[in-house]
Parts: sequence; structure tokens; C-alpha cells
Amino acid sequence: MTEESEARILLVDDEEMVLTALRSFLQLETPYEVVTHTSPLDALESVNGQPIDVVIADFMMPEMDGVTFLKEVRDRRPEATRILLTGYADKENAIRAINEAGLYYYLEKPWDNEKLQVIVRNGVERAALFRELDARASELESAHDDLDGIRKRLIKALL
Amino acid sequence: MSDQDRGSLQQLMAGLAHELNTPLGAIQSNRDVLNRAVARISDILADGVVDDEEIEHVRSLAQTISEVIEIDQVAVDVIAQLVASVRNCWRPDEHEKRCVDLHRGIDSTLLLLRHELKNRIKVEKEYGKLPPVFCYPGQTNQVFMNLLLNASQAIEGEGKITIRTYEKDGHAAVEISDTGSGIESDSIDRIFDSGFTTKGTRSGMGLGLRICREIIERQGGAIEVESTVGKGSSFRVTLPLGGCEEVAGDL
Repeated sequence: MTEESEARILLVDDEEMVLTALRSFLQLETPYEVVTHTSPLDALESVNGQPIDVVIADFMMPEMDGVTFLKEVRDRRPEATRILLTGYADKENAIRAINEAGLYYYLEKPWDNEKLQVIVRNGVERAALFRELDARASELESAHDDLDGIRKRLIKALL
Repeated sequence: MSDQDRGSLQQLMAGLAHELNTPLGAIQSNRDVLNRAVARISDILADGVVDDEEIEHVRSLAQTISEVIEIDQVAVDVIAQLVASVRNCWRPDEHEKRCVDLHRGIDSTLLLLRHELKNRIKVEKEYGKLPPVFCYPGQTNQVFMNLLLNASQAIEGEGKITIRTYEKDGHAAVEISDTGSGIESDSIDRIFDSGFTTKGTRSGMGLGLRICREIIERQGGAIEVESTVGKGSSFRVTLPLGGCEEVAGDL
């Protein structure tokens, strides 16, 4: 399970100014490590290499739209909490996409920092719970395998 | 104003609002960050004693503050550019011809259409060397806006718009080509007719091609079209050169 202070947030927006604004705030008010990318393709590559707790991606990006990007992230990092950042004109499309892609939340531009902080904190907790659940499920699975082994040995011994 | 014109204007306005929201969002968030950072510094200084750890903290806050201020400048520049583009494309200059740089006008128009184009259409600019053109700047820009909007709407899904400019036979030429659906040969003679459209009412365009032609012809120019179904269309606007010995202003 990830310690809260070790959680990693990935921000993806083709606008550098949005990235800097979000990063400045998160670094000031949260203990998380913040990674930023202007290119969704580069961001996907980085996701392969390191665990991620929360991903915030812009909806309108030239290389790849935010929803497609977040779907790709889900395939690589199912535990990551995925959040879409949307602008004024794409709200309808965004909401439809959120339902389709099963996103955790969407944040509208201009965003409120207090709200952002709460969403990100909850997102980090959610990712941690996901990992814990995953770990417990694996434990359960291996316990089941052990039991199965014992059962087979017992049967063999008794026959 | 027809329903079509209104629909298109609404679309442009929605796109513009979206484009303004990006820098606005950054500035708004940055103001909050600045307030928080200043409050932290005040807290550190409140007891009149500053230890090494606090000095380090203030240093990192100063770093944040200067980054945020720098980004605010970028954001303000973007807003200023957008506002200038709006002025260039809807200026009340109907009665006065001026010497202008057509490229700047096209760039302004592209900035306003950015939201419309951004995700799916690649714009390739092949600008040649063009001397200043003596024309009605606002109206001429509206024609470019219109042709670009049409081009974008002719492209379903992803595609490319190429803008080529050059000087030929004493005229400035602007060619706007798209990789869209193209125009049927039995329609192509009628596209400059009043009220002709191959689209539904929802994707209405700004002025209509008839008015575009009027605007260009009134200035001694011409507008022509070539199109292949399934391959795309190309509109060429030509305007006569001459009458501009002084430095060109903004279109």
C-alpha cells in the first residue's frame, strides 16, 4: 500500500499554463509528487514505468482526447483514479464520455482549488484502497491455492 | 441575420468562451496560490524568528511565486491575443479600406477557430511572400473565417486544411483547401447562390458564400472553387495589389 506522502499525481494538458497552475497548487498544499506532461503519448509512456495514484487529463488535446487517454491509462494502471478536466464548450460530450469510460470525476475550467484538493485527496485514498483490495484478493487466492494443495495431499495420503 | 448565421456565431462564441477559460482558469488558480504563499510567508515571519528550515521553505515559496507570476503573464498574453483577434474579425470598419497584411488576418481567424479545429484538423500554412493588400480588413477576414469554417465542416472526423498564399499577376492569392467530402458537380455551380446549402441548419456558416463573393468582387477580386467528391475542395480568393506604398497595419 502506498503511503500518502509517496502518492504520485499525473497531470496531462497540452496547455503549459494549466499544468503549471495545477502543479503549483498541488505542490503547495499536498504532500504528493506531481508529474506533468503536455503530450498524452509521452504521459502514457511514463505510466508504463511508474505507479500512479491519480491522473488528471484535459479533454481537448490535439494528439489524443482526454477520454481516450484515460481509457488507455485504465488498461495500464487500473488502480489509478482518473479525472477529466473539461472546458466550457465540451461539457456535454465530456459527461457522456465520463459515463462511457467510467471516470471518477470531472473538473470544469476554471476550477476551484479547494475542490481540486478534495478530489485529489479522495482519489489518492481510492487508489490506495484499490491496491489494498487487490493485495488482499491475491492473499486470498494464494491461501486458496495452499488449501487446495493440502486437500490434494490429504486425499493422496488417505487413498 | 438568418438562423444559420446565428448558429454559426453561437458556435464561434462557445469556442471563444472555451479558449478564454483556459488562461482564465490558470490566472484564477494562480491568484489563489499567490494568496496562500504570501499567507505562509507571513506565518513564518510572525514570531520574528526564522530558522534554517523556514528559510528553505521561504525559498521554495519564492520559487513557486515567481513561476506562477510568469505563467500569469503568458495567460494574459493569450487573452490579449484572443481579444485582438475578435477585434480584427468583427471591426466596424465597413467604410474604410486599409493596407493590411493578409497573413495576420488569417492567423487571427485561425486563433478564433482553434477550438473548432484543434482536436481533429491539422492546419498547414504555406505562406508565400505577400505585399500589403488595400482592402476592407474586417469584411475580408470574415470571408476567410467563412471559408475556414466551411472547410472544417466539410471534413468528417480527422483531416487537413492547407492555406497557401502567393502573389500572381498583380494579385494576392489565398487558397484554402480541405480534405473533406467535396462538392457534387451538379451543385458546384450553385454554391455561390443565395441560400444554397448542402448542410442541415445546424452546421450553418457565417456569411454564406454568396456574400463572400460579393465582398471579394466589390474589392475588384475574385473567388473560385475546385472540388472533387471524396477528396476535398479548394477555394481561391484573389485580391488586386497596389495602392499600398506605406507599411501595412494589422488586418
